[in-house]
Amino acid sequence: MPLLEVTDLKYRYPDGTHALSGVSFAVERGEKVALLGPMGAGKSTLLLHLNGLLLPASGSVTIDGIAVSGGTLREVRKRVGLVFQDPDDQLFLPSLLEDVAFGPLNEGRDPEDAELLARGVLQSLGLGGNELRAAHHLSGGEKRLAALATVLVSHPLVLVLDEPTSNLDARGKRRLVGLLRQREETLLVATHDLTMARALCERAVVMADGALVHDGRLEHIVSNREFLDHHGLWADL
Amino acid sequence: MAHIPDGFLSAPVIAGTAIASSGALAIAARRSRDSLGGEEAPLLGATTAFVFAAQMLNFPLGAGVSAHLLGAVLVATLVGPWAGMLVIFSVVLVQALLFQDGGIAALGANALNLAVIGVGGGYATYRWVLALVGVGPRRVISAASVAAYVSALLVGAAAAVELALSDTLPFETALIAVVGSHALVGLGEAFLTGALLTLVYRTQPGLIAKQETPSGAERGWAYGLAAVSLLVAILAAYGASSRPDAFEAAIKQLGIEGTPLTHFTGPFADYTAPIGGPWVAAALGVAFVFALGWSLARLMARAGRRR
Amino acid sequence: MSFRHLDQFAQVYSPITAIAPVLRVIGTVAVALAAATLRLGAWAQLGTLAGLVLVLAVVARIPLPTLLLRMLGPLVFVLFASVALLILVPGEVVARVGWISLTDNGLLRFGSALGRAFTALAAAVILVSTTTFPEIVQALRELRLPHAVTTALGLAYRFLYVIVDELERLQRAARSRNAGAGAAKRRRLLVSVVAAVLRRSLVRSERTHRAMLARGFQGEIVSLHRSRVDARSIALLSLLVLVVGAVTLSSYMDL
Repeated sequence: MPLLEVTDLKYRYPDGTHALSGVSFAVERGEKVALLGPMGAGKSTLLLHLNGLLLPASGSVTIDGIAVSGGTLREVRKRVGLVFQDPDDQLFLPSLLEDVAFGPLNEGRDPEDAELLARGVLQSLGLGGNELRAAHHLSGGEKRLAALATVLVSHPLVLVLDEPTSNLDARGKRRLVGLLRQREETLLVATHDLTMARALCERAVVMADGALVHDGRLEHIVSNREFLDHHGLWADL
Repeated sequence: MAHIPDGFLSAPVIAGTAIASSGALAIAARRSRDSLGGEEAPLLGATTAFVFAAQMLNFPLGAGVSAHLLGAVLVATLVGPWAGMLVIFSVVLVQALLFQDGGIAALGANALNLAVIGVGGGYATYRWVLALVGVGPRRVISAASVAAYVSALLVGAAAAVELALSDTLPFETALIAVVGSHALVGLGEAFLTGALLTLVYRTQPGLIAKQETPSGAERGWAYGLAAVSLLVAILAAYGASSRPDAFEAAIKQLGIEGTPLTHFTGPFADYTAPIGGPWVAAALGVAFVFALGWSLARLMARAGRRR
Repeated sequence: MSFRHLDQFAQVYSPITAIAPVLRVIGTVAVALAAATLRLGAWAQLGTLAGLVLVLAVVARIPLPTLLLRMLGPLVFVLFASVALLILVPGEVVARVGWISLTDNGLLRFGSALGRAFTALAAAVILVSTTTFPEIVQALRELRLPHAVTTALGLAYRFLYVIVDELERLQRAARSRNAGAGAAKRRRLLVSVVAAVLRRSLVRSERTHRAMLARGFQGEIVSLHRSRVDARSIALLSLLVLVVGAVTLSSYMDL
């Protein structure tokens, strides 16, 4: 059974614009998949469906066998770790420690346990020593890692990242990619950064205008100039 | 604006306003949760932070005078009256605790004036005006501007009453100085509220809370209230003009009858106003000086903190 | 931003910082109330309370010049308001300064208001110097303030930095595009910048809400802090409350 399964997912925004017009794909446990496509293709909208922040107009999303619906949100969100594009959206408490402990505390853990877990994750990401600092005292790269920490602390089964390397300098990118390579979670990364995608993923799913237009090996896409142009993608070849 | 420091209010007033504001805010907390539900927390947090940031800005009006935003009505139009009360209360709380802008003992009074009366009274005025003029976009913004002005007046009036009840200032003096200066400061408030709402409306109209069209009954009450208010205003003006001694006494106390101040307002004094005559002019002058001094003092106080 | 170094003495160990934040807040409120409600003209008691507060400042390891410096801003406003009382309150004239007549009542209120405000102000500055903002929010939580308010305050801390950052950036951009503009234009620019930041703040709050939901947010922020209230601190606090209460009450007796 795939860990993540999207079946004929359709979604329309309140103002009527079609965001997703029947997207279907599946991700197996342990896979690392890149989600590619130009802006406006519907990548972010798709990601928001994966943990029930948006619910489908029709079609379904299944995580670890659980269908995403109003009643299963809690279980789904324990399994899916969604890292948003803007780290400031995820770091909203006065200190990193509180930010990272937020998830565990909401799951019902004791403050002592939550604090231990948070410290552990921050340490493992190289942010030890910053526990009591607020997010605005961190560099862009450190903020990204902190945002990642807030999600990793809950041991999700699948990590979903939305443009994790945007606004990062080369060093920040290398640090983040190096870290993600070591991790064993199932990974779905929405990105414009094909270099990063190649470093992490074997498989690529390509979207355009709310539909899935390709699902195959990343290497094949990257070397196909025509394909890249046609689907509004860019690669440093 | 009217952030009363500690030491200016009496114990009974401190206690009374604390009880009144606690009660009102408890109600606001419940109502706010009912209307906003789970989304409440980040929305209130962002709005509180915004109001706090905006209150620190100077909007130059020219000639060295600048307007400051209180934001009571602005917030109410965006997040509703109950959440609005909580937002302004949070701002007042932080200002008192962290910046000593307003006393800690006086927190109940300041919360009552700014959060409860400023937001509640302002919002009520907003709905009242809407009931009179209808709910088109431009009307909503004009209604909000008018309501913002009235809310500034109400805040001043509440503060004046509290100061008078505390036997800190005689009532007429408090009225002229505090309400008078708020009458001027309210102009800035009205302008800023209108300007900000206009821009927000132009780019993202959905952010302004949808106003239900007033019902027939609501409109009936609105017109009735308007008529009664007009009548009361005319009677009060008639009363004031036939007995200028209240103003006169205050002016005498200030010792400014023969001073440059009244000479400055002389052109107005010669004008036989239907209400009060030269005393209105002097009162305006006092209010203006007070407002100027008040805003200067606050400016210096804030500059002192910006280190 | 001006509040970055406010709580520098919170990092310094002192008998004050050893006490749980919620008790510090209660103590500050007690002192402020006691000072604010002293009877007019009770100079002895006023001096006592002021002295007590200054002693507390020393105990908190705050140098007195620093304390006074931090009180300066709010004091300016208090001074203005007190002078207003001096001039505006009617009574028997005791002196004349220029064209202003000073009355006995005016002097009484001037001195009392200034003194009471000064003392309460000092207490507040001691609190804010020894207590971090998250600690204050936690104290308010323990004091059972509405969750909506404490949660909003907890989130507002970060929001404020982000908003101020945006304000400064947008202002700089607007100013560089419109160098040499007149006052009216600058005002219009400021208003449009503020409106833009308002819009962004509201949209940002929605995104933050999503991020909170994604991590299991149920409506109330569960705190990481554990209560540090112990018997000794409660005893000290009670002593403080009794002392200041007694001082204030004594000002109303038979003088």
